[in-house]
Amino acid sequence: MSSGPQAQVTLAPPAPVFARRTLADRESVLGPLMLAPALVYVILLVGVPFVLAILLSFSSATAGSLDFNWVGLRNFTRLLSDPQFHRSLGNTLRFMLVSQVLVMVLAVTAAHVLDAAFVGKRLVRSLLLLPWAAPVALASMAWVWIFDSTFSVVNWTLKVLGLLPGWLYWFGEPGLATVAIITVHVWRMFPFATVIVLAGMSAIPQDIREAAVVDGAGFFRRLFHVNLPMLLPVVTVAVLFGVVFTATDFSVVWLLTRGGPYNSTHVLATLAFQRGILGANLGEGAAVALFLLPVLLVAAVVMLRLARRAEVGT
Amino acid sequence: MHDRTSRTRGAGDPNHREGVKLGMDESRKAAGAGAAQAEDVRISRREFIRKAAVATAALGMPYFYVPKYSLAQQRTLRILTWSHFVPAFDEWFDPFAQRWGRERGVQVTVDHVSFADIVPRANAEVAAQQGHDLFFFLSPPSAFEPHVLDLRDINQEAERRYGPMVPLVRKSVYNPNSRKFYGFSDNWVPDPGDYLKSVWTAVGYPNGPATWDDLIKAGNEIKRRFPEIQIPIGIGFSQDIDSNMATRAILWSFGASIQDANENVVLNSEQTIRAVEYGVRLFRECMNPAVLSWNAASNNQALNARQTAYILNSISAYRTAQDNRLPVADDIWFVPALRGPGGRWASEHVMGVWVIWRFARSPDLAKEFLLHLVDNYRDAVLASKLYNFPSFMGSVADRRVPVAEKPDAGRRWMRAAVIRDPFGSNPPDKLRVLADAEQWSTNIGHPGPANPAEGEIFDTYLIPDMFAQAATGRLSVREAVQQTHRRCVEIFRKWRQQGLVGGGRDR
Repeated sequence: MSSGPQAQVTLAPPAPVFARRTLADRESVLGPLMLAPALVYVILLVGVPFVLAILLSFSSATAGSLDFNWVGLRNFTRLLSDPQFHRSLGNTLRFMLVSQVLVMVLAVTAAHVLDAAFVGKRLVRSLLLLPWAAPVALASMAWVWIFDSTFSVVNWTLKVLGLLPGWLYWFGEPGLATVAIITVHVWRMFPFATVIVLAGMSAIPQDIREAAVVDGAGFFRRLFHVNLPMLLPVVTVAVLFGVVFTATDFSVVWLLTRGGPYNSTHVLATLAFQRGILGANLGEGAAVALFLLPVLLVAAVVMLRLARRAEVGT
Repeated sequence: MHDRTSRTRGAGDPNHREGVKLGMDESRKAAGAGAAQAEDVRISRREFIRKAAVATAALGMPYFYVPKYSLAQQRTLRILTWSHFVPAFDEWFDPFAQRWGRERGVQVTVDHVSFADIVPRANAEVAAQQGHDLFFFLSPPSAFEPHVLDLRDINQEAERRYGPMVPLVRKSVYNPNSRKFYGFSDNWVPDPGDYLKSVWTAVGYPNGPATWDDLIKAGNEIKRRFPEIQIPIGIGFSQDIDSNMATRAILWSFGASIQDANENVVLNSEQTIRAVEYGVRLFRECMNPAVLSWNAASNNQALNARQTAYILNSISAYRTAQDNRLPVADDIWFVPALRGPGGRWASEHVMGVWVIWRFARSPDLAKEFLLHLVDNYRDAVLASKLYNFPSFMGSVADRRVPVAEKPDAGRRWMRAAVIRDPFGSNPPDKLRVLADAEQWSTNIGHPGPANPAEGEIFDTYLIPDMFAQAATGRLSVREAVQQTHRRCVEIFRKWRQQGLVGGGRDR
């Protein structure tokens, strides 16, 4: 009992009653104030455009006009009967699913390779990140040349090797254009996923791995029964990122094919740009852009719950 | 821990006054030897906030203070234009604008964007209701009519100085429904056929094709005799500006069009069916799927790499070959628009239209600058290496010529320039076909005026897509035409509701 007041006197002498409290002392003000710039930034650059897009999707707004005519769900109902929209929606889902499956297979494989000890491992890890770090516009320009229908370096190489009897018109045929787009998506996304999986692997307790080895579990048994279950939360996060990035990506498709040939490779983002900005049909463009939002929201919630459950389970 | 401790300290705390931030642990450390030295480099929260505030204010000051001051002192003109396909033009234009500004005490800013970024940028400026004073488009910007000033005054002034503007130009800057000049054009660009003379000579056409029929006949022969040429005929059916021009040229030459002269949609016609059938034949016999994926540069690259023997383009592909001293330059020759059953038509390759936004801060300066630009258009034509053709032909006439004679004098000067190309053509009269370009060139929207509906159809590539879908067999010719017609009708209806498009008796 007696030590309390003594300690108070020694460690924290009471401030004089006239002491002026400045902003730096008032955390209830300082905290929000320090957060404000980031908050304003997000509200102005994400929140406002987002709300504006929702409002536009219920209007017949056109570029070159600031008039706002409420049309209810007309833009959405019109889209539901638009074959080009159906195709774009299908492409968005197809590109997303196929690329994510490939990304995860490649990422888990690469993570296991990079987890092993070998000479030059650090260099390989750094190089692996290059596709992720490279500006997408720059990278896509390189891929445009790699897959150019007339001058494709892939074609020329295959020709020289005697492996290509005809010619592959990468961007001129919908199937090949799809392959090209998915290739670039995978190339971009898999380094990021690899890094995440690598981080997850380093978090797996060494004794569990060693116990599996001692118990005589082979590589695939360890992979499917030890590593992957324990990696599930982190893999889910990587997939979630990948899904969101791929489903909302505009630049890869636009820079590679601009939605061609004959609108066959449009995704929702590029169709929205074509209809809303180039075609001056802002209302319809906004409706296209927002169409996937509920789907992505549900996917995100489900995946985060899965990840949480897996985490709790571990 | 840190936070709680900080709250309990007041200004009277000696440690606080000294700018040393201490927590409980740090208090203990402070008692230790050498701790004071380590803590000298730390700053208190107060000090940090004060310094950060000062730094922010110092960095932000110019944005809030200096512009206001300078705006009060000097008038400004902000110009946005494209990065010209002939780079030499920009090297002339930017100093030209700066010189004009210096002479008038005007601070001129010229920003260049890629041609593909023009429309998105315009949309952004309209949405923000701020941006440049003068904005340049490559095709008639009729959709932006509500947001631009009526430029009747400077169009009339230019006509007063130099005589009437070229008819296809008038159709691209004037809306007959609203009776508004929504733009001011200084230039348009012809779209001739570019062909490899050696190849066409070898297949019996030394002067290149004259009709659309020639294109298929010779294309087949080129395919047979020159297997190294991947794409005998290089006409894009893609989502790009050149494909837009080329497919319209086919439509018009077969007597078809999207709209009639009164802005009624007439695409669904037997003429269109025949035009698309022709496109299907051309694609299957003389082209390959590469043309479905072309961008604006692809046909230039293919021609300069001798991977195609004919393209529809301006002279920029040729000028690029010259600038890069490619041997192919001497082999590139030109033909006028090809003749079809419905006549001989080519779209203008570029329709350069300036607009002045309603929200422009210096509209008068912008108008003054545009007239100054037209006053010096002979220099502009030469700076573009004969790529730009004047919208007011009289503007390139000799200054001493009376106004009434200026248009003819200007046309004579253009003819002389293209017949004796001062930019190293071999032979010098290689560009001769451009002398008559006005006769076979027409505007987007032909035979009617340019309007926002035509603009939307242009910018969403409906016509090249119609050809591509039929050519690849994805739709039958009739289905492709009908589907495109329906979409065109929808678009026209939408713009009619805004009062910007006439007609209403769609087929």
